[in-house]
Formats: sequence, structure tokens, C-alpha cells
Amino acid sequence: MNTVIPENKKVSPYFVFFLIYTMQIGVGVLGYQRIIAKSAGHDAWISILITGLALHVIIWIMYKMLHTVEGDLISIHMFIFGKVIGKYMNVFIIFYFCLLAITVIRNYIEIIQVWMFPELSRFTFTLVFLLLVLYIIFGGFRVITGIAFYSIVLPTYILLIFLFTIPFADFSNLLPILDHSFKEILLSSRDMTLTVLGFETILIFYPYIKKPETSKKWAHLAIIYTICTTLYLAIITFAYFSPVQLEKNIWPTLTMWKIVQLPFIERFEYIGIANWMLVILPNICITIWCSSQIAKKLFSIQMKKSAPIIALICLISTSFIETRDQINFLSNLTAKAGFYFNFVYIPLLFVIMMIRKKVKSREMDG
Amino acid sequence: MVKKLLFLLCIVFLLNGCLQKEILDEVNLIDGIGFDDAEDGKIKGTATMSVYLKDQKPENKTFTSESEIKKTILQNIQRQAADPIVTGNIELVLFSKKLASEKGILELVDPFQRDPGVGSGIFLAIVEGEVEEFLNGDYGIAGNAKNISTSIKTNMEREDLPKTNLQRFLSDFYQTGKTPYLPQIKQISKTNADLNGVCFFKHGKVIHTIPPEKMFFFKLLVDKFSEGLHQVEMEEGKAAIQSIRSSNKFKLTKRDPYEVVIKIKVDGIINEYTGNDLSSKDIPKMEKAFEKEINEKSMELINEFRDKRLDPIGFGKFVKTKTRRFDINEWWDHQYDELTIKVHSDVTIVEAGVIQ
Repeated sequence: MNTVIPENKKVSPYFVFFLIYTMQIGVGVLGYQRIIAKSAGHDAWISILITGLALHVIIWIMYKMLHTVEGDLISIHMFIFGKVIGKYMNVFIIFYFCLLAITVIRNYIEIIQVWMFPELSRFTFTLVFLLLVLYIIFGGFRVITGIAFYSIVLPTYILLIFLFTIPFADFSNLLPILDHSFKEILLSSRDMTLTVLGFETILIFYPYIKKPETSKKWAHLAIIYTICTTLYLAIITFAYFSPVQLEKNIWPTLTMWKIVQLPFIERFEYIGIANWMLVILPNICITIWCSSQIAKKLFSIQMKKSAPIIALICLISTSFIETRDQINFLSNLTAKAGFYFNFVYIPLLFVIMMIRKKVKSREMDG
Repeated sequence: MVKKLLFLLCIVFLLNGCLQKEILDEVNLIDGIGFDDAEDGKIKGTATMSVYLKDQKPENKTFTSESEIKKTILQNIQRQAADPIVTGNIELVLFSKKLASEKGILELVDPFQRDPGVGSGIFLAIVEGEVEEFLNGDYGIAGNAKNISTSIKTNMEREDLPKTNLQRFLSDFYQTGKTPYLPQIKQISKTNADLNGVCFFKHGKVIHTIPPEKMFFFKLLVDKFSEGLHQVEMEEGKAAIQSIRSSNKFKLTKRDPYEVVIKIKVDGIINEYTGNDLSSKDIPKMEKAFEKEINEKSMELINEFRDKRLDPIGFGKFVKTKTRRFDINEWWDHQYDELTIKVHSDVTIVEAGVIQ
């Protein structure tokens, strides 16, 4: 099962930084401020830091497991549950990554529909978008990594655009610090998970990294950078909006752009939203690649076949989700699935794995 | 690979023009909209736009229609206009004072924050008199709405009009312990309009207005940075002092009951002096006189707001940022009345012009 991946298909360890960061920054960033402020209000920035700490622990656990089996999640499952059950556990993971891809596409389409073109057809847009995604996927993992790299480097200027809101910002909105209970802050840390989901793709592309052990520090750096970005945005948002106003805005990040006026462009949202397509492109590529990678190994079919099938599933599901309620349901479902997968299932696997390892080494001794 | 690329290219061409196009020359770009009170609970909306003609100054065109909500007003206006009406270029939204004090403007502001096409930097203002009449004036070559919004902007940046726009209005409105305010404007002739005060809102309705004389002190209290001219009277003569820099700092000095000290710092230059000679002795005197006036007039203003149950300066918000588990009901109930406020100002006259 563990086929050897040729060296020329692998990527250098530092690319893990781009792969993980690009996965975490997606559509969630456009609207997470309101969601995390629901329970912790202006103290939610503390929750972001707590989420960050939790992510570091999970990444550490993931690397520990991956290092033990010298493979990907499929090998971990087989190691723990044996050949038969372990194999079928992976079917869920295929659907999980599909779900991630669908959530990102559908949320992005909603943004285009609300902000730019209400009559945009979901089907045609997804079709064209997925064709592009497939084209990139067929180029191999290295091409995907390249796209991930550009999707971070090119839109970096957007981070500076938010400074336009400073004259309207009132940083005393963040005071008094710790006005909420610890429980409320933890609740909002949980709400933060949808925004930072995506780092679990490391479980699948781990074998594609050269000297994978050395990439660990890049993964941690990516998490730190994600947390810095989201923290920066959250603080600016909380200063710009008064609390009740924030509750009313579904996409605070986009609403903040409404104040931006440049000499050559009256309104920035249109550029920002169009640019965001580049940000979510690698998200879809990586999730669909992961799904089809598992499918390929599981059912012994070629990537050329598995990827289009996965893309087709995404296309059909995206077309069926119509109203905002359904989108919210989908996002909540993904957030829940992601939360339980990363923060419950993975640590559980880790514990079982440690026990298995002990038992196995004892058997060897015996 | 070539086949695939061709296929993609085909799709690109097929999809071209799938969505509604909006070409600048073929749409009616509204640049200002105003609302009046009409009969039977209806609202009269007036939209204004500039029609650009070749080698001439743009012509103002207005459309008026009555309805219950904003979108139907636009729809009714659409029936009067040939090209599609778009709202993306709105710069100015006006409300008649009658409408704003009787019905409130909240419902009318909602579409502007909901519409993704409308920016957050647009100006809102209250019109003393009829908005329809106001928008039918002719205020300059750039078009009515553009002119009025530029005038508001200039006065906010260089004079004593406190800074407001849609974002600031909404932010104050939704803020705990703060009430919003908007500039007031009046048509004084067919070609001139005058910014003649600031209106204060509670629950979306105008309940108080201050005249331009008090705006200078109000701006000192609410804006971090204000430029504005004020006249100081002394025994020796009158002087016009222009603030070039100002700052205000709030400090919570006591609790139960609360006490807030406001420190206002003004750096100014003398623009005009009617006395004989401006000696170095006169300047400290002038500073003292100005300080005294700032202290008194600001306190007057603060008490005026307190009597009307308004808090545009945001004392409630300020105390909230210093207090955990702040209860806004208790604040409005009795804490705001019991609050002691002290204003300390510090005026420095840095220059007195090119003559002695």
C-alpha cells in the first residue's frame, strides 16, 4: 500500500508553511469576527490566542503520529485498526475533505451573489472553477504547492488595505479586557475553529514532503502566522465596529472595505472579492487533491479518475445548496465536523496509537 | 493538453456576458437622495443625479416619488427614467428635519447599510425645511450632491463641524452609552446652502439641535483633532483664535458616583486682533480668557445634553471601557445624572501672525 513517491514529485520542507497557511486562510476570514464575538464579545481576541495554542498541540500530535508510521492518515488508520476496518475508516475522511471543499466554494459563491452579481449561476461558476482546479491537480502536487505559494504572496497587500479603517477605529472598544467569563472565551475559541480549519491536510500530503521531519517547524510557523493574521484582523474589526453593529454584519471584513477610497478606485470590495478567488483556489485544489488521493489508494484507481469523480460530487452538492439557511447549516456542519475531527478524533487516535505501540513492542519482546 | 485548453477557452467565451452589464454611460448614477415626510404615513423620496453634457457644466436632474420604503421609491423613480438606476455612486443622504424628529430615520438608513453597493463613507445630513426644494437648488458646477458633500467634508476637516458619516453614525448608534449626531443644513437661497448646526438623535429621532456657535466646543469634546476658529473677547479688544491642534483626554477619577475629568489641549494661532498692540503680556491673558470660555461653554453643553437625556460625547461608553460588568440601564437610570464632570483646558498660543 505504501508506494514510494519519487523524489521529483516531492516538495521542499519549507513549502509546508505555504500549504498550511493557505488552507487556513479561506472564506472563514471574511466573516469570523462576528461569530467569535457572539459569546466573548470584544474579548474574543483572547480566544484566538487560545485556539492558536490548541492548534500547536494538534500539529505536534499529528507529526508524532505521521513520524511513527512514516506515511499518511491511511497508514495511521491501518496501523491502529488493522487492514480491514482501517481501510473503511478512510471513506469518512474522503467525505470530510469534500465537505471542506463544498463549504468553501458555496460560501464564496454566496459572497459574489450578495456583493456583486445576484444572478450568478452556481452551477456554471462551480463548473468553470472546478475545471481549473482539476487542471491544477493534474499538474501534480508540485503545481498545487506553487499555486499555494502565489495565493499567499500576491494578495498580501490586502492586509495593508485594512489600515484605511484606522481613522474610524476606536480602540477603546477593546476595553475592559477580560469582561467575559473564561467559559465564554473558550466557547468562542471553539467557534474560531472553522476559520482555521485545513491544517489537517498535512495528514495526507505528508509523504510528499522531502525529509518530512524537518518540516515540523514550518508547520508551527504557519500556525503562528495564521494566528497573527486573524488577530490583527479581529482587533481592527472590534475597533472599527461597535459591538451591536458587528452583530449585524455578516462579512465584517468586506464591510470594512466599504470605507476604503483610493484615488483611482472608488470602492475596494470589488477588487478584494475578485482577488479572494486566488486565495480560495488552493483551498479547493488541496482539499480535492486530498480526497482523491485517499480514494486513489483505497480503491486502487488512478488520480486521473478519482479527482474528476470527487469534483463532480462537489459540483452537484454545491448546486443543490440554495438559501442562506442551507449555507449556514453547511458551514455549521463543517465547523462541527472539523472540530470533532481535529480536536477529538485526532487526539483519540494518538492515544490509541501510543497504546498500540506499547502493546506491539511488548509482543516483539515477548 | 491543447484540447483541454481549447475547451476551457470555449467556456470562457460562452460565459462572457452571462451576467447583467452596467456600462457607465448607460445607467443613471444617483449621487444624492433625500427623504421628506408625506401624507398618509408615506415618505417622499427625491433622488438627484448629474447629467453630463458635452462642453457644458453638468445639469442637475431630480426625480421625486412617494412610497413607504426606500426601494419602492427607487422603483417608482425608475418608471420616470429611461436608463437603469444604480445606487453605487451615492454620496449624500438627506432627511428633512420634520421627518427626522417625528418618524425617525432608522428605517431609512437600513437600506444604505444593507446595500453592498453603497459605501460607508457617505454623508448623512438633516435639512431644515423641505428636502425636495433643497435638492432642486443649484449649488455649483460639480452637481448638487457632490457640492454639498464636498462642503460638509471641508467643514469637517478644516472648520468646526464634528466628523460624521454613515459609518460613524451607525457605530455611535449601536454603541452602548453613546448617541449619534448629524450635521444640519439649510437652503438660504437658490444657489447657497449653509451648514447651520448639529442635530442629536435618540432612538433614531432628532430631539435636540445646537447652533453653529456651540459647534466649536462640541468638536473639541468629540473629535481627537479639530481645527476651527473662535472669537475671544477681552478688555483690550477682540481676537480671533484658530485652533491648529487639539486633543481631548478623558480620565475616570472617582467611582460611586463616577467622576470624569476631561483635559482639553488646544494649540492656536491669532488670526485677527482688534486691540492696539499685541504685547507679550496680552497673550497669557488671552490664553486664560480662552481657557475660561472653553471650560464654561463645554460644561454648559454637557449639561444641556444631560437635561435632554443625550450622550453624544459618550460618557457612558467611556465609563463602560473602565468598568467590568457595566450595566447600561443603571447608567441611564441614575448614574449619568449623578456623574460629576470637570473640564480642564489648556490653551497655548503658538503664533500671532506676521505682525506684532
